[in-house]
Amino acid sequence: MFEGLREKLQKISAGLEQGIRSGSATAEVSEEPGQEQARKDPNLLGKVKVLITDREFVISEKEIAESLAELELVLLENDVALPVTEEIIAQVRSRLVGKRRKIGENVDILVISALRESLLEVLGEGFDLLSYIKSHEKPVKILFTGVNGTGKTTTVAKVGAFLKKNGFSVVIGAGDTFRAGALEQIDVHASRLGIKIIQHQQGADPSAVLFDAVQYAEAHKSDAVLADTAGRFHNRVNLMNQLDKIRRVMKPDLIVYVDEAVAGNDAVIRAFEFEKTVGADAVVLTKADMDPKGGAAISIAHTIGKPLMFLGTGQGYDDLVAFSPKKMVDELLLEAA
Amino acid sequence: MLEGLGSSLKDALKKLAGKTVVDRGAVEELVKDLQRALLQADVNVRLVMQLSQAIKTRALDEAPPKGMAVREHVLRIVYQELVRLMGSAGDVKLGPQTILMAGLQGSGKTTTTAKLARYFQRKGLKTAVICADTFRPGAYEQLSTLCSRINIPCYGQPGEKDARLIVRNGLKEKENAEVVIIDTQGRHALEDDLIAEIIDLNIMSSATHRWLVLDAAIGQKASEQAKKFHEAINIDGVIITKMDGTAKGGGALSAVSETGAGIVFIGSGETIDDLERFEADSFISRLLGMGDLKALMEKAQEMAGETEVDVNAMMRGKFTLRDMYKQLEALNKMGPLKQIMGMLPLGNVELPADVYDVTSTKMSRYRIIMDSMTAKELDDPSVIGSSRIQRIAAGAGASPDEVRELLKYYKNMKRMLKGVKGGGGKFNMQRLMKRFGGT
Repeated sequence: MFEGLREKLQKISAGLEQGIRSGSATAEVSEEPGQEQARKDPNLLGKVKVLITDREFVISEKEIAESLAELELVLLENDVALPVTEEIIAQVRSRLVGKRRKIGENVDILVISALRESLLEVLGEGFDLLSYIKSHEKPVKILFTGVNGTGKTTTVAKVGAFLKKNGFSVVIGAGDTFRAGALEQIDVHASRLGIKIIQHQQGADPSAVLFDAVQYAEAHKSDAVLADTAGRFHNRVNLMNQLDKIRRVMKPDLIVYVDEAVAGNDAVIRAFEFEKTVGADAVVLTKADMDPKGGAAISIAHTIGKPLMFLGTGQGYDDLVAFSPKKMVDELLLEAA
Repeated sequence: MLEGLGSSLKDALKKLAGKTVVDRGAVEELVKDLQRALLQADVNVRLVMQLSQAIKTRALDEAPPKGMAVREHVLRIVYQELVRLMGSAGDVKLGPQTILMAGLQGSGKTTTTAKLARYFQRKGLKTAVICADTFRPGAYEQLSTLCSRINIPCYGQPGEKDARLIVRNGLKEKENAEVVIIDTQGRHALEDDLIAEIIDLNIMSSATHRWLVLDAAIGQKASEQAKKFHEAINIDGVIITKMDGTAKGGGALSAVSETGAGIVFIGSGETIDDLERFEADSFISRLLGMGDLKALMEKAQEMAGETEVDVNAMMRGKFTLRDMYKQLEALNKMGPLKQIMGMLPLGNVELPADVYDVTSTKMSRYRIIMDSMTAKELDDPSVIGSSRIQRIAAGAGASPDEVRELLKYYKNMKRMLKGVKGGGGKFNMQRLMKRFGGT
């Protein structure tokens, strides 16, 4: 994934290099007839001084402004939300402007490292679910939340399959008692995967269902409880209160917020609201096969500062990829580096 | 919906208020704010750039018509360009037709299918649905449950893996239905076999319409996805779902510009009636904070068919308790008050929160209290004094305070509707729209 973004980022890096190069070129030219000009422009005087004494260049804001504006558009086109984009741009700018570089130093490395640092900072660390479960008291209770249609139920099934494959025993709690057909959906997934499922009938109190699921897991010494919930919008107070009640009743160890890679600016708003109301410990980004550029990952990670755990990359149970920020950024900047 | 976008536009336009000549700085600032607003609404980056360029050029080059203030001149240009961006609303015929639903996973196709069935049913057409989602577990149960609640026949073969076969059988089975809606499995444009499947379904069913269902939250990807779907099955209508969240739905505009198909419906809630017809004019009126009279009237007329309520009471000058009684009854059927009020042209007025805060239980209390009033009191509430309040309260089994609260609510309502009618003042929508109309 992220090919498109990478391609464009490379183009931008090239632009930035050019900016820095041409900037340094003008500085070199002004080195000799520079006296008169230098008086007009004190910055230039400083620049010349640095140039003569240390043989270094100072990168100015003007030189990289155009490239940064272009980089901003690229991020926007890849669904990085507007406020997030602006912050990343500001970061790259502050990393580059005023920085000195020696004549022999490779410009590529400077630009790439500024970008890499910014992106890595935004994406944070990944989240290793397996070692989390290993190192915590069983059963580890995991609650899945998110708005309608992001793929919570499918993700619960995939995570169930993943844990089972890694030798853990799993119980699923069918907490979506609202949507028509939701119970049938998760039931089919569970029976296909051979995972125990706890469910009540349609319209039941989800807190009660999930409480029962936890009870069952404790009695049967299961390793993990995966609690599915109904999709809800963050601006529906009653539904958010219901989610809060679920949290109080089942006391999850991990709250996993599920959102989709195709989401645009709204990803920021809803991630923020979910984090505020019920909290979130990790994020799963679904439908990453639909939007291989993954700007939403950057938006969400930046907004709530929580690690991305998995990417959903298809409709099969195995289409779940552990998220590794380093790998992603490396891949993103591979050829440019 | 689109409130956020509306308010940032309003802020931008405020800067032009009171100016007599178009000033380049102000226009540039406006365009910049507009860009930010549209980008945050997920409108395609390239579309935003084109649009803002066009607005800037026109605002600076075109002289304002005689007598039109600069602010209105620029507002009019913004409005016209936005209308052009959105295109006209997709056509919905009330006659025999087959509709094929298409869209990404989780965009809300199944829910929308049921809502559409309800829509056509209410328009008096014999409607049936076919569930051709053979992949997602529970898909058939979901659709058949939703349909059984509204007495719509739903065809499906749970367990059958061949969607083509289901559609063939379903069409045969439901051939006496006037409107047939085919719900399909979620798919995205990069899944070749699924795209091939929907091409087959389209040819086989010789669908009259192929509607693309898009989540309001979809970002820049909308463009590419819409393009691929369009290439495959020639999309002729777009439905935006989940407009009741905070997403602004700008992604759908990319789909519109990519396919040339209009937006036909907007889904705005989880219940079966939460589906509105789309109209570009009303969409933008709401966007610019001018309310949406047309949608309200359409909804009201539909309701009027079912009850003998005079819904136009809201718009009439004289507003009595009797009108309010009918209105409360009508509102119960029309949906939450807030939704209705969102459609009224209230301009920049922020309604007090307690106006919305009338829950349905409170409404039924109000109706009981009004049942205890005399005809005279209902027609002319001003005669109600404290002794009458005592009597009404005793008759309704309510406290005098509750009666007073009802009267207060009535007064608020009356004052508000006065503003809506717009005898003058800055919220006179009719006047404003007339000017916009003069393209």
